[in-house]
Amino acid sequence: MTPHDGGHVDRVVPVYAVTGGRTRAAGQELPLEAVAIATTQAAGSAASLQTESRAIVELCARPKSLAEIGAALRVPVGVARVLVGDLANGGYLEVHLPRTVDGDGGPAPAILGRLLDGLRSR
Amino acid sequence: MDSVRVDTRRPSPPASRDLIPLKVLVAGGFGAGKTTFVGAVSEIPPLTTEQAMTALSVGVDDTAAVPDKTTTTVAMDFGRITVDEQLILYLFGTPGQSRFWFMWDELARGAVGAVVLVDLRRVDDCFPAIDYFEDRRLPFVIAANAFPGTEVVPDRAVRDALALSEGCPLVRMDARDPRSCMDTLVALVEHALARSLG
Repeated sequence: MTPHDGGHVDRVVPVYAVTGGRTRAAGQELPLEAVAIATTQAAGSAASLQTESRAIVELCARPKSLAEIGAALRVPVGVARVLVGDLANGGYLEVHLPRTVDGDGGPAPAILGRLLDGLRSR
Repeated sequence: MDSVRVDTRRPSPPASRDLIPLKVLVAGGFGAGKTTFVGAVSEIPPLTTEQAMTALSVGVDDTAAVPDKTTTTVAMDFGRITVDEQLILYLFGTPGQSRFWFMWDELARGAVGAVVLVDLRRVDDCFPAIDYFEDRRLPFVIAANAFPGTEVVPDRAVRDALALSEGCPLVRMDARDPRSCMDTLVALVEHALARSLG
């Protein structure tokens, strides 16, 4: 993988075949900003995964959002969502979700305060 | 989530930081400076994510052989700011075209708020975004981007033209200047924080 190709994975089958035709992950719908990071278990066993999934696990050695994963693999977010969901279910990825006040609310005041401090200090 | 987990059945996950993703939407009419803004503050080169419009293919489930026939793809610029050990802020440039608004619902859910970039020479372009965020009760700031000639328009005239409520911050800024974009984000988060405590 080189910086030039942005992590592009050469693909010989359509992405929808990779996901078995699914564009929705089982369980919770992951938002675009959900962040995935590879588990230690993944480091030892990712070699057996298919190309796209292995690329995601490698990419997520450092935390990456669903949006970043989709962009790096050049697949629509819906496809990245399915693959990430499967990898999380398989124990390869740990997924961190946004923490919002209630279903439709924004982040809690304490988190907004930290965000503000962080941005001001830049 | 507790960072200390004891599980004997599996190798334990990395002693990972408990990460908290956050997002801000960057909206505005075509050419108002959304892509420039995202690029000015992002620590990664702005990326483009593609969102398939699956709604268009409802009832056409047997299209696996020709997956792109019934789907439209919307491209969206985004960037990232690692705020601290835990917080990662993502900026999403929202598609300006109104026919993609059903997408905004997913984007707006859980967002810190929105920066609405305005070209004061074409204020009409930002009305749809303002209406949408007011309707969703999502905190937003108006960012009047420094296009030539717009600096002479007084704040009062801008507020009147956009029918802004008194509580809505108006920032004069330059989307080409990272400092100016960061100040705009700070104004948004201050506003969002005040609202969340309100």
